Amino acid sequence: MKFRGGYNIRFQGKPGGLLKDILLPEVLYLPLESGSFNFSALCATHGQDVGLGDVLAKDPDNHDIPLLSPTNGKVNLEAAPGHITLEDLSDDSSKSYTYHDELEHIHKKMGSAGLKRYKLLNLGAWEFVKEAYTGQIPNPLSTPQAVIVSTFRLEPFLIRGDVLLKEHLRQFTRGLEHLQSLLAYQPIYLAFPKIKSNFAAKIKEQIRGYAWVKLIEVPLKYPYDSFEIISRHIGLRHSTGSIWGVNVEGVLAIDMALTNSKPCLERAISVAGPGALMSVNLRLPTGYPLSKIKNEYGLQNSIAIDGGVLTGRLLTDDIKGVPTDCRGITFVPEQLGREFLGWLRPGFGRQSYSDCFLSSLCSHFPERLTNAVKGELRPCVSCGFCEDACPAGIMPHQLHKLIYQDDIDAVEKFRIDLCVECGLCSFVCPSKIELMQQFREMKQTILKEKEIAAAEAAKEAALESATEAE
Amino acid sequence: MRVLLKIFEKISPIFEEGGKLAAIKPLYEAIENFCFAPSAKARCAPFSRDPLDIKRYMTMVIIGLLPCVVASLYFFGLRVIPMIIVSYMTGGTVEVVFSIIRKEPIAEGFLVTGLIFPLILPPATPLWMVALGCAFGVFVGKEVFGGTGRNLFNPAIVGRCFLVLAYPAVMSSSWVKPGHGITGRLLEYVSSANIEAITSATPLVEAKHGLEDMSHMFMGLDISGCLGETSALMILCGGIFLLLTKVANWRTVVSILGSAVIFEAILHRVNPEQFAPGMWHLFAGGLMFGAFFMATDPVSSPSTNEGKWMYGILIGVIVILIRNFSGYVEGMMFAILLGNIAAPIIDEMVFSVRLRLLKNE
Repeated sequence: MKFRGGYNIRFQGKPGGLLKDILLPEVLYLPLESGSFNFSALCATHGQDVGLGDVLAKDPDNHDIPLLSPTNGKVNLEAAPGHITLEDLSDDSSKSYTYHDELEHIHKKMGSAGLKRYKLLNLGAWEFVKEAYTGQIPNPLSTPQAVIVSTFRLEPFLIRGDVLLKEHLRQFTRGLEHLQSLLAYQPIYLAFPKIKSNFAAKIKEQIRGYAWVKLIEVPLKYPYDSFEIISRHIGLRHSTGSIWGVNVEGVLAIDMALTNSKPCLERAISVAGPGALMSVNLRLPTGYPLSKIKNEYGLQNSIAIDGGVLTGRLLTDDIKGVPTDCRGITFVPEQLGREFLGWLRPGFGRQSYSDCFLSSLCSHFPERLTNAVKGELRPCVSCGFCEDACPAGIMPHQLHKLIYQDDIDAVEKFRIDLCVECGLCSFVCPSKIELMQQFREMKQTILKEKEIAAAEAAKEAALESATEAE
Repeated sequence: MRVLLKIFEKISPIFEEGGKLAAIKPLYEAIENFCFAPSAKARCAPFSRDPLDIKRYMTMVIIGLLPCVVASLYFFGLRVIPMIIVSYMTGGTVEVVFSIIRKEPIAEGFLVTGLIFPLILPPATPLWMVALGCAFGVFVGKEVFGGTGRNLFNPAIVGRCFLVLAYPAVMSSSWVKPGHGITGRLLEYVSSANIEAITSATPLVEAKHGLEDMSHMFMGLDISGCLGETSALMILCGGIFLLLTKVANWRTVVSILGSAVIFEAILHRVNPEQFAPGMWHLFAGGLMFGAFFMATDPVSSPSTNEGKWMYGILIGVIVILIRNFSGYVEGMMFAILLGNIAAPIIDEMVFSVRLRLLKNE
């Protein structure tokens, strides 16, 4: 597949390229539920003292991905519902938990390959590995048909891929070697932005020595950093086996786990957006109190989003700490006033995908976005903007109509499964239809129906075999 | 403005459910959101949206039509104004009544239909016919199908088609010789009292006797025709604006005009005596107006880009066939109607090809 669609929104509030370390707070709130994980199996008890890297909880639905303790502290399960609260914190690493005895046991039992995978899973590196097509965590014991390592991230207001890469280039290449050691002969694709800079040349120079790394140059246009789009571009099919997608921080976590046998406990996230007091990249432990971030970096009357502005989820007051899979916290200011005759204004200050505003005569400029929908919900007029912007090559307007008709078979036939949930269709729609939300819900419904159908088929098969046995 | 906003805030509860005037909530909402940008906030991702909305989108079409309105004022006089007002009033009334019955918000589509409709009528059409045609077009062409976004046909064309079939005599004798000089007919009001004196035929009718000069037809000078279609120059001004704003799809326009000109040129090659040159037909009648403003209606044309090419070629070929080989001198109206009928089928064809390509992914 050729790259198609996509759109770079020009925005104000980019986080820039510097990374700031944050001091340990007094208390940490580790959310048990996050966008992709649900740590429902608790491993720590109320009042227990835990050390750096101890397992606090596990996600039984996701290959027992652990929730690790970022520091030494005392567990409090009652302070905030839905969270593990850590108090009396200290980051004295001498107390840290070592896996030594256990590791030797595992080594004897599973061999060195098994040991590596065990380390990755239990040292918190595995949660960075994603299945390219489904976005789920792959089975740590499986072998993929290929691995895609992406060095960049394009969604507005998230930390750029090169921020970490610049600081840890050596660790990154070592991580790639570790990643390769997990594979037999399968290739690693390194997705790299199509830009010319000294840094890019330096990385290319470093990579040239590795015959098993294939460089893929990708245009800098959102959302071409999506693993699904890159795999489709390379021609890797979902049906022929799993494809792992790993970001820079994933490679660094793998390096940390396999070289130093140390858990990856800190997250590099962006705190940015048009509603942020200042846009920065922060390195902080998971569970860092959100109220602190909101007070320090968020403007009044702005909403906080876990993730980027296009695909993130709203951070309500129930969520008290930075989730484990957080990639950035985006602040978007609330729309307060209502513009008089807004639709008639020439629109010099409005960036639009269409050319219906006079801003299209000006050169590019960043606009301060707000969370206003900027219009009313209307029936689809088939203007075709969603299809133009769609990077997956599907027809969002037609899918919307089929969902409206509740025709699930046709929705599947029109390949809703290829949707990468980039949010561009909802962003550009002049009728203000929540296309991405509808597609997300529909995909869930289809998944559920398939599960039910599979369960029924299994039941019938069991019945048949039972009657045959009789 | 703050005072007005406060008034709106104060009276809005009356129109909410259970309020005294809840029945006409769509009308109130339309007025409020006409004056002030809607206050809705994004509740789910993406948390920020593009500033383009349907109001703006439709406004672009209206701006694109303005050069044609100005030209028609110059050529055919002040009568254009009451025609537009009558058309807006009847079209708007039908739309509002249906929105209230359906309890759905008023869609902005009628703003375009209400302006296009008088522009495709002969200049001396009686006002009651304008009202009747517009009401019929909006009702049968749009509301019956479920309102904006669900209509199969372009409502303005349905209205005109109805008038042509119901009142053929009036529709074919309401032509007016356009004004010229500095003021044109800007200061005149052509009414049924003085219409007889200046009735003239359109170039397509006169073509039976001899061809009109092409440069005149480009500018619209001395050419009779429907209000908006006479001056190709003005249509180009507005039409190219629409193409630049991406509101009208260039594929439709290029394929209609291209296929019509090429087809006619081939006919002209075969028999220059009987068939006019290709470029002549481009400037004659409603071909250009229809291609820029009516066939590009996104709702009634195919939704895919490949489909738009097929749709445009179909319309271009049919219009030349009707003009040359049927009893009608002008065929744009029927060509677009036929194109509208074919649009869903064309879409189905494109979908099936695309889905076959996607199957391998």
